Amino acid sequence: MKSLKNHLSVIIPLFILLFSFQFVVMLERVVKSYEEKLFSDYSIVAVAISELDKDSLKKKIPLIKTVEILSTKKVINKFKDDFSPANLALLKTSLPKFYSIKLKSPPDEETLKKIVEKLKMIPSITKVETFEKSYTKIYNMLILAKTISNVFTVLIFVISVLLIFKQMEIWTLQHQERMYIMGLFGSPFWMKSAVLYKLVFIDSIISATGVAVVYYFLPKLEKFQESIKNIGLDFETFRLVDDSLVLLAISIFITLFSVTLVIFKQRTEVK
Amino acid sequence: MDKTIIHAQKLQLSYKKGEPVIKNSNVSIHKNDFVFITGKSGSGKSTMIRSLYGELPLESGTLRVCGIDLDSISKQKLNVLRKHIGVIFQDYKLIKEWTVEKNVMLPLMIAGYSKNVCTMQAHKLLKHVKLLHKADKYPLELSGGEQQRIAIARALAHNPILILADEPTGNLDEYSSEVIWDLLKGAHHHLGTTVVIVTHKIPSTLGINYKHYFLDGGVINEVS
Repeated sequence: MKSLKNHLSVIIPLFILLFSFQFVVMLERVVKSYEEKLFSDYSIVAVAISELDKDSLKKKIPLIKTVEILSTKKVINKFKDDFSPANLALLKTSLPKFYSIKLKSPPDEETLKKIVEKLKMIPSITKVETFEKSYTKIYNMLILAKTISNVFTVLIFVISVLLIFKQMEIWTLQHQERMYIMGLFGSPFWMKSAVLYKLVFIDSIISATGVAVVYYFLPKLEKFQESIKNIGLDFETFRLVDDSLVLLAISIFITLFSVTLVIFKQRTEVK
Repeated sequence: MDKTIIHAQKLQLSYKKGEPVIKNSNVSIHKNDFVFITGKSGSGKSTMIRSLYGELPLESGTLRVCGIDLDSISKQKLNVLRKHIGVIFQDYKLIKEWTVEKNVMLPLMIAGYSKNVCTMQAHKLLKHVKLLHKADKYPLELSGGEQQRIAIARALAHNPILILADEPTGNLDEYSSEVIWDLLKGAHHHLGTTVVIVTHKIPSTLGINYKHYFLDGGVINEVS
């Protein structure tokens, strides 16, 4: 019973720590997926009085991915019945050119401003529409959500590591006499501490496996799938092999680091 | 070949700097010696023995044990030295979470012997101390005398050059004490182990030649 309590005192904070880490990873993926979706629908519209040289435009603004001319056919077709062919031809030539400009990566407010300035410096361009308000509002909201979750994760990380440290101290004290006696017979450091390393290694595996199982089965829940479908996102919640290995590595690193630090702290007494 | 096992010159030991417990002492113990260090309570007997297995650093002077200089000794070298020493304590210092057998195996495990060799040697020694039938028990299930016999079996397990015993019969009745003395005499006689014992009283019925150092006022003097 005492041994189970000892193990749970490490497993629980470690589980919470890994759970929040994986949550941040998942949130990062949601944001990225949302960002991509938002960005794939996003383009700047530029109005020019004459045709633009696409290559020189790309050279001038390297962030530009594509420049597509928007067809004016629909507009002209609207006036087909009311205008004479001659007037229609005149309208065709006097209508400005509309360009849809797509970017390579999602711009922040500052970058967008610079792009607009550069576009406006081109003499043939008369108007630039960025649809900035709706774009940046959602983008900023996502960034805010990401930041808040990161802050929470850091707090959880600190608290969990402190709890793990405390438990390591208790373990080291429990094993101090044995380590001292072993030291009296010339036992090297690794042999004296082997039991502690074995304990934390087992707890690391249990915690990482627990978190991996939760995140593996969570997306399989109907409710979860429904909500993801509702917001129209398509992303991988949990990559079984990659994410499990990362969780295990973090888990082992934190526990091994804590136990080593605690043992070294008490090493002089253990000598 | 140098037969000196312990050589101390102008040895000074203290717990607090400037307050020496052992002062300016010279000690020379040779191979196969059976040595008693006696003195009043608080005279520094245990301090002396602690310094011999490197638990207490020297304040000044020199101390050489089994050919290793203990002045500014490294951790690795200290471990090497301790592999040649068997230590026995008044409070036995057995690992209570381990079985009797595993406790005896400890020095052999540290020396890197295989499990089979460790088990065989542990059984041999447990038989020698007449406790083989308790191999699977835990120390706290044994009496004080039995625990001390286990501690002696452990101290002998790796055939040490030197046995250091700090009040080995301090907590035991007369009968158990006699058994312990016999075991220590046996190790000295049959294995040629050098034995250094710190005690407040030398048993009268020992029946062997021994060297006697007396600690008085922080200075060690040879009595006989």
